[in-house]
Amino acid sequence: MALTITCPICGKRNGYEFRYGGEEKGPRPDEKDLTPESWCDYVHMNQCVAGVQQEWWFHRDGCGSWFTIFRDTTTNLEKETPEAKE
Amino acid sequence: MKDIKRHSAVAFKATPLKNQTYGDWDVVLEYHGEGDGPWLVDLSHRTRLDLQSADLAAKKPFGITIPEVYCQSVLEKGVLINRMNRIQASIYHLDGQSMDTPKEKEYTDVTEATIFVAIFGSNVFSICEKLSALDFIGADKQTPFLFQGPFSHVPCQIVTLGREAEKSGVVLTCSRGYGKHMIDGILHAGEEFGLKPAGEKRFADWINSL
Amino acid sequence: MMNRFNHLPTLKIDVSDKIPFTYKGKTYYGTKGDTIATALYANGVRIYARSLKYHRPRGLYSMDGECSNTMMEVNGIPNVRTETTALKPGMVVKEQNVKGSAENDLMGFIDKMDWAMPAGFYYDTMHKPAKIWPVAMKQIRKAAGIGKLAPDHHMPGKYDEIFPSCDVCVIGGGPAGMKAALAAAQKGLRVSIMEARPWLGGHFEYRSSEYISRQTHHERAVQLAKEVEKTENIRVFTHTANVGVYNNNLITGFQVGKESDSFTERYIEIRANSVVVATGCIERPLLFENNERPGVMQAGCALRLANTYGILPGKIAVFSIGHDLGLETAVALHDLGLSIPVIADIREDGQDPAMLKAVLDRKITILKGWVATEAHGGKQVKKVTIKSVDGTISKTFDCDVLVASAGFTPLTGPLVVNQAKLTYDNHTNFFLPTDLPKKMYAAGRLLGFENAKSIEASGHLAGLKAAYDCENCSIADLGEAKKAMENLPGPARGTKLVTAPVKGRKTFICFDEDTSIKNIKQSIDKGFDVPELIKRFSGAGLGPGQGGIPGHNLPLFAAKYQALPDIKIKPTTVRAPLVPTLIATYAGTNHTMFKRTPMDEMQRKDGGIFRNIGVWQRARYFSKDFTCKKEIENVRTNVGMLDGSTLGKFRIHGPDALNALQRVYVSDLSKIKEGRVKYTAMCNDDGCVIDDGVVIKRGENDYYFSTSTGRAGQTIEWIRYHTRYDNWNFAVINLTDAMGVINLSGPNARKVLEKVVDIDVSNEGFGFSEYKEFKISDTIPVRAMRLGFVGELSYELHVPSSYMKSVWLMLKEAGREFKIQNFGVEAQNVLRMEKCHIILGQESEQRTNLLDIGLGFLWSRKKTGCKTVGVAALAQAEKDNTRLKLVGFKMENNGRAPKDGSLIVDDRVRGYVCTARNSFSLNEAVGMALVEGDMSKIGTRLAFYEDECKGELIYGTVVQTPFYDPDGKRMKM
Repeated sequence: MALTITCPICGKRNGYEFRYGGEEKGPRPDEKDLTPESWCDYVHMNQCVAGVQQEWWFHRDGCGSWFTIFRDTTTNLEKETPEAKE
Repeated sequence: MKDIKRHSAVAFKATPLKNQTYGDWDVVLEYHGEGDGPWLVDLSHRTRLDLQSADLAAKKPFGITIPEVYCQSVLEKGVLINRMNRIQASIYHLDGQSMDTPKEKEYTDVTEATIFVAIFGSNVFSICEKLSALDFIGADKQTPFLFQGPFSHVPCQIVTLGREAEKSGVVLTCSRGYGKHMIDGILHAGEEFGLKPAGEKRFADWINSL
Repeated sequence: MMNRFNHLPTLKIDVSDKIPFTYKGKTYYGTKGDTIATALYANGVRIYARSLKYHRPRGLYSMDGECSNTMMEVNGIPNVRTETTALKPGMVVKEQNVKGSAENDLMGFIDKMDWAMPAGFYYDTMHKPAKIWPVAMKQIRKAAGIGKLAPDHHMPGKYDEIFPSCDVCVIGGGPAGMKAALAAAQKGLRVSIMEARPWLGGHFEYRSSEYISRQTHHERAVQLAKEVEKTENIRVFTHTANVGVYNNNLITGFQVGKESDSFTERYIEIRANSVVVATGCIERPLLFENNERPGVMQAGCALRLANTYGILPGKIAVFSIGHDLGLETAVALHDLGLSIPVIADIREDGQDPAMLKAVLDRKITILKGWVATEAHGGKQVKKVTIKSVDGTISKTFDCDVLVASAGFTPLTGPLVVNQAKLTYDNHTNFFLPTDLPKKMYAAGRLLGFENAKSIEASGHLAGLKAAYDCENCSIADLGEAKKAMENLPGPARGTKLVTAPVKGRKTFICFDEDTSIKNIKQSIDKGFDVPELIKRFSGAGLGPGQGGIPGHNLPLFAAKYQALPDIKIKPTTVRAPLVPTLIATYAGTNHTMFKRTPMDEMQRKDGGIFRNIGVWQRARYFSKDFTCKKEIENVRTNVGMLDGSTLGKFRIHGPDALNALQRVYVSDLSKIKEGRVKYTAMCNDDGCVIDDGVVIKRGENDYYFSTSTGRAGQTIEWIRYHTRYDNWNFAVINLTDAMGVINLSGPNARKVLEKVVDIDVSNEGFGFSEYKEFKISDTIPVRAMRLGFVGELSYELHVPSSYMKSVWLMLKEAGREFKIQNFGVEAQNVLRMEKCHIILGQESEQRTNLLDIGLGFLWSRKKTGCKTVGVAALAQAEKDNTRLKLVGFKMENNGRAPKDGSLIVDDRVRGYVCTARNSFSLNEAVGMALVEGDMSKIGTRLAFYEDECKGELIYGTVVQTPFYDPDGKRMKM
């Protein structure tokens, strides 16, 4: 796979080694006062940006870490920071 | 019940020449026709431990300091310790008498969970590149170092112990269930380079030469 | 067979080594070093194939496989590019796409029918009335298409794969590529070179002309190649075609094995830090009438036939060329004995003076501003008409070879597939790469350089730029290399002529698809005005050559025909694979990779029939009776052994171990006691049940738990994911493979077990749902549970994998007096189904939640503050009565069981069958199904619609569950 992901433990690796864990959305909301709608939003609603997004990856074939990276969804390349632009 | 034996998931077709018992294991010291290398040696009877702790720096398994740098390893007194991530290290017993599991709860004996083999001798990395995209010969690493990644499409821990000519070699663990097919895959990939199964003596000689 | 040169320093053949092969059933001889095409050429073959549509004769044209002209069937494999495939002893070579022979093709008359087949005639004519199409399609497909392959064809040979890494990868092993590799390697970097031809040297390799005084281009190529080969940190892959370049510089190719190699072909996937593309040029085809008649060939082809393969292409050759390589070829072939009546050079001026002098010295007529307009001769060239470029004056010459070439075409494929843009350059007449991706550089001829020194210097510079990306080159070094370039000639002026002054009815822009200039005009006239559309409408560039022939001319012609002031028109997009590649090569070695349990060997010996189930190979049956009657009855009445080793098994420990379990399991695990087995389940965030298993407390914050087989690989990932924000301190260890599991089940299970172990296994000593740890013979540590998945007295023994064989043999020995038997996964499936114990994935699918399958009792509503995964959704779903419910059913009138997966219908689909079997234990057919809520009441009649039942429904009724031993006495006895 052309995609590479930089694991904070193992370094830059082939994208096949990883599983995608979705956009970064912050921790699970508290159960108190949770409406069905806000719960559904947390689980299912995504930003789907055309640009740089922070997202979770799991190094499934490697060290077994969950971590986030910044990736430009239009080029499928990793970025150092959320602002990074070509 | 005298017939209690332990069996490795690794079985070679080669004919053993010398055997030795090691606890309840039958260990082959030497096979017929081991050739001139590279070699594949089964070490599955040797103890592997998992150590997980939020404070790894405070742990000194067998008196050895765990490497601070991720994926770096240290080989001391026949014990190989590999830093896996922030909270985890794997410990392999490579040489000498058997190793007891420390009593602390943070240690788990995972000997049974994996197969454990060594591939060493000339052309080892030519065999590896047929089975894995991991870069064993990249300049930015110092032996011994750990790879946690796919080998023959199976997640493995692979520690490179030597990178110089015929002293080149790695030790590898993967899920025990994949044992047979992993060995088949390695031997098939190594066929063109003369890879042969060898006994533990060959491994000991190599470790001592490093 | 003609005489072949054997004295040229550039030769790659050994004329003393004859190689026999079969062509059209007769034995011929080539020489060592030949390709199939050159061996055939040496044997006088000129017509290699017939074209796809018009069955026109086709011959050797380019030598690099850009078109289908020389594709043949070799050793039963169709569409082999004979011009790039090495000849091997005993090859069987056949013609393709002919009725009769390529020489006398009975379908040849179709060439005269071209008026009936304008561009897009399929689309225009064959769709009305619709009835015609199936009939027409059959005939067309019979006539067209190239090569045949049996569906059960087994590809012979060994196919391998390698995945090397390097710092700099150079694509193209010509002078620029070699200089780039050397520059990067001298900076201490690991370099790989990929070269499509079997040797390094590129367009220097086959040229005997002067590079510098007293050194030929060929000698220079050899010198550079030697230097490259002796450089330790350069790895050379020759005969390796580049097929793809992807993001992050992932480069793929395939290498053709030499005789000494262990592979026929191998797939190569290189990950490089930076890349230099120096793929050079091919020639741009000259467009005139019958421009693909056998005997017409490009300059490089003619020159390589002679210099590389020792074959003089013919006796008399007319040249119609637009570059100095054409003049050089004429001079070289003249000196080898070829008679050249005339050279028509498209250019009015700008020829290399030295080359021009060499032509004149040999008294060869050269007409500047002239071009070939028509090749004559039915099957081979016999005569050529040339005209002044304006079309006013014409001359005709007899000949048997026409060397024709309009100019050069840069091979930009590797750049374009990695998202580089192409922009038209007026000076070179090339589409040049612009906006190169990061860490990717172009060098050499493909940038338009023709001067040898410039080519090398551009390679050197690109190599340093690549090294700079690897932080191994200084700015000063780069500056020096740039300066050196400035003092050398820049890109050469390219010829602009697109078509000779012809009407173009038989002027082929694409050979593979028989697309003529006239067809392109027709396409544009119909409104398909840009190359991407013209390509799809007219077929130009859709053939096996993938645009190698029309790629450059098509956008130029489209611009010219529409009189566009500016060539903003873009070439069509090229895509990987850049070179056609065997599926076998992509497949590579393909090792079998499945898991085997510690009992695998013993079960195979006992006659187990294995199936690949998920990542495991498991014993599914122990006899050919796939209903498993004997296996089932044995468990119900006696005692059986099942291999349950594939169950996921984990240790979790550390201060936050319980917190982590509370997060993912729906039950309240703070209440479980040591020595007890707690059955529970995990849901996803939608409340859909994803896993079930047991949890055992072995100490404070130290648990042993099991998962279903299919979930074992994802369990750690799942727990870590759902605790990723919590900073909890816990450790999970996957022990799935560390423990073998024997399930000892049946009324006699206790009698067998008590012979093997020392602990009290009576119902009082080891009751249902209890957990024990003990040792067998003071040696083998066992973790034992009393469960009842199959509905009988049952012990599940977890044993370290290496001891499993010993324990297995002990149990078999102990069970001998009871005639203990194995049972497999299918028997277990029926046994548990009779008991209505679910298997996730069978009694559930992605949308099935915990409540739907009746496991709601596992959910602890009082457990708060744990943020348990899925409970928010479960709380909502509880009020929803539209969901499917799991029910048990029996068949009416002693009917047979429906097939698994059958639909439950009334006037619409109302549910489906999960598992159903003819039960031997109950003497009737029973099963479980997921049905809409209103159909879940006891007594509801269910109608089953089976796959291929042709409307014949079968019927059953919803009944109480479980079917077998409803009081659960047997598993607790």
